Amino acid sequence: MTISSNRRHVFVTAVFLGLAVVASFLLTSNGHSALVLGLMTALFVIGVSVLRIPGLHTNHPVVARGALTVAALVATLIATYFLSATTNFNLATGAAMSIVLLGLSFLTGASGQISLGNSAFMGVGAFAMAIWANHHTTTPIVVSLLIAVIAGALVGLLLGLPATRLRGPYLAGMTLAFAVAFGAILASFNSWTGGDAGLQLPTAVTPPHWLTSLYQSGTSLLTTNTMWLADISIVATGVAFFFMGNLFASRTGRAMRLIRDNDVAAELVGVSLPRTRVIAFVISSAYAALGGALWTLINNSVSPSTYSFALSITILSLVVIGGIGTIPGALIGGLIYAYSSAVISWIVTQTGLKPQGNFASQMNGIIFGVLLIVVMLFAPMGISGAVLRAWRKRRSHLRG
Amino acid sequence: MDSFLTSRIVTDILSGLTNGVVYGLVALSLVLVWRSTRILNFAQGAMPMFATYLGMGLLSYHFGYWACVVISIAAGFAIGGVTERVLVRGLYGKPEINPIVVMVGFLIVLEAVAAAIWSTLPRGLPSPFSPIDWQIGGKPFAMSDFSVYEIVTALVVMTAVALLFRFTKLGLQLRAAALAPEVSRLLGVRVGRMLTLGWMLSTAVGTITTVLVASNFFTGLTPQVMDGIFAFGFIAAAVGGLDSPVGAIISGVVMGIILQFVGDFLNSNAIILVALAILIVSLMVRPNGIFTKSTARRV
Amino acid sequence: MGITRKRRLVTTSTAFMLSIGMITAGSSVLSAGAATKTPGVTKTQITIGATVPLTGIASSGYSDVAKAANAVFKYVNAKGGINGRKIRFVMKDDCYGTPGFGCTGNPSVVAQTHALLSIPVFATVGSLGTPTQDAVRSLLKANGVPQLFVNSGSRDWNNPGTYPGLFGWQTSYNEESKIFAQYIKATYPGASVCFLGQGDDFGADGLAGLIAGGVTPSDTQLYSVSALVASGGTSVAPYVAKFQSDKCAVTVLDTIPGATDAVLGAALQMGYTTHWIISSVGSDPVTVNLPFVGKPFPDPEIGAVSFSYLPASTSSSPWNAWMTKVLKTDHADFPNFTSTSPITGNMAYGIGWGVAFVEALKVAGKNFTRASFLKTLTTKTFSQTPSLVPLVYTRSNHQGLNGGYLTKIISATQTQPINGKIYVTDSTSTGPVVPAKKLSTGIPAWLK
Repeated sequence: MTISSNRRHVFVTAVFLGLAVVASFLLTSNGHSALVLGLMTALFVIGVSVLRIPGLHTNHPVVARGALTVAALVATLIATYFLSATTNFNLATGAAMSIVLLGLSFLTGASGQISLGNSAFMGVGAFAMAIWANHHTTTPIVVSLLIAVIAGALVGLLLGLPATRLRGPYLAGMTLAFAVAFGAILASFNSWTGGDAGLQLPTAVTPPHWLTSLYQSGTSLLTTNTMWLADISIVATGVAFFFMGNLFASRTGRAMRLIRDNDVAAELVGVSLPRTRVIAFVISSAYAALGGALWTLINNSVSPSTYSFALSITILSLVVIGGIGTIPGALIGGLIYAYSSAVISWIVTQTGLKPQGNFASQMNGIIFGVLLIVVMLFAPMGISGAVLRAWRKRRSHLRG
Repeated sequence: MDSFLTSRIVTDILSGLTNGVVYGLVALSLVLVWRSTRILNFAQGAMPMFATYLGMGLLSYHFGYWACVVISIAAGFAIGGVTERVLVRGLYGKPEINPIVVMVGFLIVLEAVAAAIWSTLPRGLPSPFSPIDWQIGGKPFAMSDFSVYEIVTALVVMTAVALLFRFTKLGLQLRAAALAPEVSRLLGVRVGRMLTLGWMLSTAVGTITTVLVASNFFTGLTPQVMDGIFAFGFIAAAVGGLDSPVGAIISGVVMGIILQFVGDFLNSNAIILVALAILIVSLMVRPNGIFTKSTARRV
Repeated sequence: MGITRKRRLVTTSTAFMLSIGMITAGSSVLSAGAATKTPGVTKTQITIGATVPLTGIASSGYSDVAKAANAVFKYVNAKGGINGRKIRFVMKDDCYGTPGFGCTGNPSVVAQTHALLSIPVFATVGSLGTPTQDAVRSLLKANGVPQLFVNSGSRDWNNPGTYPGLFGWQTSYNEESKIFAQYIKATYPGASVCFLGQGDDFGADGLAGLIAGGVTPSDTQLYSVSALVASGGTSVAPYVAKFQSDKCAVTVLDTIPGATDAVLGAALQMGYTTHWIISSVGSDPVTVNLPFVGKPFPDPEIGAVSFSYLPASTSSSPWNAWMTKVLKTDHADFPNFTSTSPITGNMAYGIGWGVAFVEALKVAGKNFTRASFLKTLTTKTFSQTPSLVPLVYTRSNHQGLNGGYLTKIISATQTQPINGKIYVTDSTSTGPVVPAKKLSTGIPAWLK
């Protein structure tokens, strides 16, 4: 990279930064909003600019990932301001789900362990969040999310330790039993978990003043609240994905992939099997707990029936359809979760079936199940895998 | 003697036995599929459920109960065979997660289609034998004509399967096809056909189980009728060892009895908790199941 | 080479995301539309919604409730609507919040409620379930959307101080049990009473009502719905065995139909005989009889005592013929309903609050707001609905109906009033059970 192209890079970045700041002040009505928007767009420009530094990805991959995360996050956060409350709600729910999917994708795709218990780990995080909030109302959100994550990690440790020696179907069986038994575990601690009715958060999560001032006065509480929830969810997702990206590429990630492919060879080269397995398990359960805690925030309540075994099946299905073991796969899965029922209701109206009839109400299940089977039989690497394969084919065509 | 027979302990043992043979049969079906094709069949409850709906649907066309049972079992054979041919064929040799996901998808589809066609309203099936408990000295004894029929049917099925595998040429072929497919092929065994037969047998056993379960009058026949029982059967199979048919049956029966005591002396919540505890403890001691002889792994 | 590709990928993907954001922003701004004076209400239509279990384990029977209300709305629409407005009723499936395999991929009740709010709806009317409706109380309140006629007998809906837009409809579990207690004291004085209730407020409120009414059970058991489902119904058998060794003369059940089936089945199996008293929630003869069809013994529910606030199918109430007419006309929701089909308790229930809503709408007038509609509810007495006691709300009481009569199940499809006396009470522990002074009058002429 010559000195003049370096200088050109900095110059272009500075120009864009200036443009962004000016545009923010012009487009917004008060100083507060200008500041926020200006800061966001500045971050975006810097993020993209950093990414364009040649050699960054090879020399400083963590920085590259960070810049990508920041840029993507900022773009999405700005978007949430314009979206309707329902869209933000779906976005928030889907983002939280993609965190869970990422954890499972890592466990299964990267380290080859099948877990059917993620619904229970989600529940651990969800209830930890609600129980803590009900007893300590002033804890900041970030701290209570962390507490939920730690709770999930601890339970993951508890379950992961006996799981180290288990193979394939036996691990599946144990995690299945845990997921099925989770409801009974919750019911045994009725006084803490609120029984069948579950728990409500003592106070609804409200946005800070600088966010509400971005809106015109008179905007409904629902709009501002859901935007704030979506923002929290998206930031958490960005952080979670950033860490996972680094973990994937690290020594631990490589060790896990080695175990998945050939555990005996892994042991021969000195990888500690039990330890690495447990780490993978703990991480996956911590991620699931984070997703569950976010759901509690978003719904302002937690209900035991949500975290049943069938949710584990949904999670597994989404991971598979999105693409096992890939980061974009988890994002795709989250999107599908947020919008599948809207798409399916549209399909139902197109087919002209009676909306309240037997067939229409089962359409969700029929489409989901068929999709699972078809994807697994014909495109086992999921949507992201199929896209990657097509892209690679195009690349080799272009080369050849 | 009378008060002993009607005592709480004996009542629990007998009721637990009746539940336990059902778990044992489910576990047996899972083991049959695992041993023959090394696949964990998550739709082990849903496929027989569908076959039962098909067969029992003919009741409204004035077919007799036993005719419908036979037709259900035949449907079970057919569904098992078709599933193996169409869905499972492409999954041999693939990573472990693939067949699990496909069978889960199949489970969802079967339950959804059954609910779409026949709705989720429970359907009562005729009781071929009286489900009223016998009375001994004016007190109920935890056995009825129907529960005897359940236990006898289970024993007959288990024995038939054992005899088939041990003493018939077909059974030998089935075992050979599972253990050493290439060699068996060379020796003239139609391996593909044996694999299909393994699935057919497993689904047929499952259908007999589902007919038994649905004929009781606690819930009747619904698309979800086998969901809970599948979970317990799966746990029993994992505890006993997926390679051991005998282990599956024993662990199913023992689990049924233990859980009956738990439900009676503790509460209904504790049932699944104890099942989970049993599973964790047994897998920690014997990670491949209690009754599996340890096999060397190829590296 | 790779770096340029990566750069391109990053730029294109962020540009893509931004444009998605803008497009969605644009479309959502467009579709939001101008805020109408009263959301969900136009000159010619009023839109209401409900989250109900259309699929899943709780849907057996319950899915008929909202459909029956929808039949009422369609009937009224065919007559020109109310004050020139037709009623559009949007039902969203929430699977009763229990996403079993029958509900894979189904959105949560909160998500479905959000979907209703985005239509928008004037109010939610007839959403079903205690835990599900508890979960959305604060969401609906935050958006100023009335939550009307919640299908549940919990006392949670009677909280006007915190939730001014929240209204129940049916007689509460507590009130029903107090009336049961009075019957038990009169008919089986000094008898031993056993109680099996659901392990949530259904069982808790029911038990409290029994005790408040002067009957304290000697054996109380609570069952969990999830354990019941997982065990295929056998999880209640030990409770029945306990009752049998207690030799209870009277057994009170606060159970949903699936649990009622399991209990009656276990009792039949063990030869446990007792006088059954079953909550209206779980006693509908047609629903309860389903697993016993084709069995070589009579329906075990026959002879049981239950409770109702709607006309018995055997009574000569003019509402019965009217309900048959309404259900027969709605071919979409009830395709196989004929003049001789039984009207199940679930159908009558839905028609009950469907008519109540329609009457409230009529009284509210041509121009109304959410606030004025709620005021109508709390100031007017609705005495021309199918329920035998009038529907009365006050500013401090949003519970709904406060009484009913005792019934006996006489066949697999029919109930009959026991003494024809209609009682009212309240949900306090001291309020007495007294004969109802005011009763409902017949069908209003404009509805016939």
